Amino acid sequence: MDRAEATGFGVAVVGHVALLAAIALGLFHATVPPQPQDAIEVSFAEDVALTSSSPTPMAQPPAPSDAPELGAPEEAAPAPAPVPTPTPQPTPREAAPAPARERAPPQPQAREQPKANPRTTRETRDRRRPEEARNGRGERNRGTRLADLNLDGLGRDPSPSRAQASPGATMSTQAAANIAQAIARQVQPCADRQVYPGPGAERIVTSISLRLNRDGSLAGRPRVGTQRGLDDENRRYAERVADLAVRSFVECAPLRGLPQELYDVPRGWSNFTMNYRMPG
Amino acid sequence: MRNINVRIARIVTAFCSLLIGTAAMAQTPAEQPAGQEGQDEGQLVVDVTGGQRAALPIAVPYMPTPQAADTAAGNTEALGRQVADIVATDLRNSGLFTPIGPGGLQPVSFPQVTAPNFPYYSTTGAQNLVQGFVQANGNGSITVGCYLYDVAARTELTRQGYVVQPRDWRRAAHRCADTIYSRLTGEGAYFDTRIVYVSETGPARRRVKRLAIMDYDGANHRFLTNGQFTVLTPRFAPNQQTITFMTYEGDRPRVMLYELDSGQTRPLVQQPHMTFAPRYSPDSRYIIFSMAMNGNTDLYRVPVSGGTPQRLTNTPGIDTGGSYSPDGRQIVFESDRSGSQQLYVMNADGSNQRRISFGGGGYATPVWSPRGDLIAFTRTGGFRIGVMSPSGSGERMLTSGGAEGPTWAPNGRAVMFTRGLSSGQLWYVDVASGTTRRVPTPLGGSDPAWSPLRD
Repeated sequence: MDRAEATGFGVAVVGHVALLAAIALGLFHATVPPQPQDAIEVSFAEDVALTSSSPTPMAQPPAPSDAPELGAPEEAAPAPAPVPTPTPQPTPREAAPAPARERAPPQPQAREQPKANPRTTRETRDRRRPEEARNGRGERNRGTRLADLNLDGLGRDPSPSRAQASPGATMSTQAAANIAQAIARQVQPCADRQVYPGPGAERIVTSISLRLNRDGSLAGRPRVGTQRGLDDENRRYAERVADLAVRSFVECAPLRGLPQELYDVPRGWSNFTMNYRMPG
Repeated sequence: MRNINVRIARIVTAFCSLLIGTAAMAQTPAEQPAGQEGQDEGQLVVDVTGGQRAALPIAVPYMPTPQAADTAAGNTEALGRQVADIVATDLRNSGLFTPIGPGGLQPVSFPQVTAPNFPYYSTTGAQNLVQGFVQANGNGSITVGCYLYDVAARTELTRQGYVVQPRDWRRAAHRCADTIYSRLTGEGAYFDTRIVYVSETGPARRRVKRLAIMDYDGANHRFLTNGQFTVLTPRFAPNQQTITFMTYEGDRPRVMLYELDSGQTRPLVQQPHMTFAPRYSPDSRYIIFSMAMNGNTDLYRVPVSGGTPQRLTNTPGIDTGGSYSPDGRQIVFESDRSGSQQLYVMNADGSNQRRISFGGGGYATPVWSPRGDLIAFTRTGGFRIGVMSPSGSGERMLTSGGAEGPTWAPNGRAVMFTRGLSSGQLWYVDVASGTTRRVPTPLGGSDPAWSPLRD
């Protein structure tokens, strides 16, 4: 060992001792990492929000709709059956009256109302009493603009827009994940009831296509699509697992509480695919 | 020093290359994610995982008759109740179902057989529903109708009708249960089968052992031999025309053949040597058996019609308990050539013999599953029934101690065996779930052999 090597060796030894000392001191001052708080439930989405949830932004608000009371936009109530008028029309030369006028004689309440806004179309306005103005489900019709009422302090500036859609009525990735979770939550109890047929059945993933009505009920029989994970051991269970996939959904239908505005937008819940598998 | 630097530089370069290579491998795209293949990209996708390992609740109400009529097996109204009882019992025996009814359920009218009262059955907790009818035909036969429904989906899953002679009404019920079982489990059927076994009675030193045959559930029991000679190891021919077994007739163990139609018995081979442990080939044309000759016991094969036995093994020791694979290409057998009883697999011509079991305590009576995926055996240390793959992997035990002599149900899902080495009872176990059931026998029983599904 020559001098240079001895020097290098000595430096290395000193360095190692210093390193060990530093680590040992560091250990004395080691702090216990804080215990994690209660687990927070998270969900995994395969996509992140790379697309805008409002890809067609509008500077103007949507066009107003008329109704006696303010409320969220809804479907129009079905037209009531025409009721024959008790008295014939005095002016036969007049054109055929609109059905709305034929249905019922004018009510006193309607006459007492202030003069109608000339910009509204008389034929489409419901002139029945407010308590009669109900939709098919027996609920009052509601609109986004107060009609026929002059209320001080409430803005009545009409919007020049003709767009009917809400600016945000597009399925964002986050909304899709939320809806998928909401559906999965409702289907889960029924999925848990399905009985495991045999070894290897847990490897089968069955896709079923589902069409729903707006009320969350099935619009048609679920259609069994592809099955993945089939092998020689579990092929015998393929039909049964397909049954169980359909049962999982059908038993818990109709679904409730899904957002109406995301029903028939692209990737909406009117049509979706459910992948079902049994736990391993 | 320069050389050292060069060497270090090379090492660093190689290390970096290794790292880069590893990173590149890590970036190699893995298999396509299973969840997205073949699905519409523009559609909402919901993933649901759920299920339970439990018995399936299934409603089995009494079966009505369109018109009560007397038959050779009784009134059709009574038959409808009995058929429903058998269907429910079969399903319960499988260990995979919890039948609801027949007692306690609302009576079913004949028109309701095809239009079930689904709202009512959904209140019973049943996931599926079996309905049916029994109808007397003009020609003396009866028709048993069998319908399976999904209560939640309100759909019919399958339906079958069986036209049988009144004496075969139990078979019609078993076949109805088979239809339900197969549709709801995906497995093959096994209720319409028979068992041949050794019926035992009397004290241990003077035990009378008779060959007996019965339905899988113990019904239609009858004896095939009178007990004059002790019999052992009966086996069903896959074509169900003959049964082979070993008898001590004349104090000399030898393999016999019993013809089921005629009831006649004859020796399998005309040999002065001791022959035993017979079993059929899957095509019913051959029987493999053991023969002790010149102090060595080997496996032989002989046509069922008779002829000269063909020797398959020739190693020193006792080679016995041969059982064909379902495709007939391989044979599993037990041998003590290594010093203890172990399992071996060979080609059907005796070539390529290889050991597949290596546990202590010994292995005996191997039987290849009709599916081909498993071999059942008796673990002689403690006498437990187990299964393993044909390669010897995945060994697991199905029973506790005191069990031996496994035989497979034709669907390869259940194994019957003898429990209680002294008293002798027949039991079977569901291979997947491990649930066991006892098969009732009028006397003690041992050495069961399960028949194939009846034609």
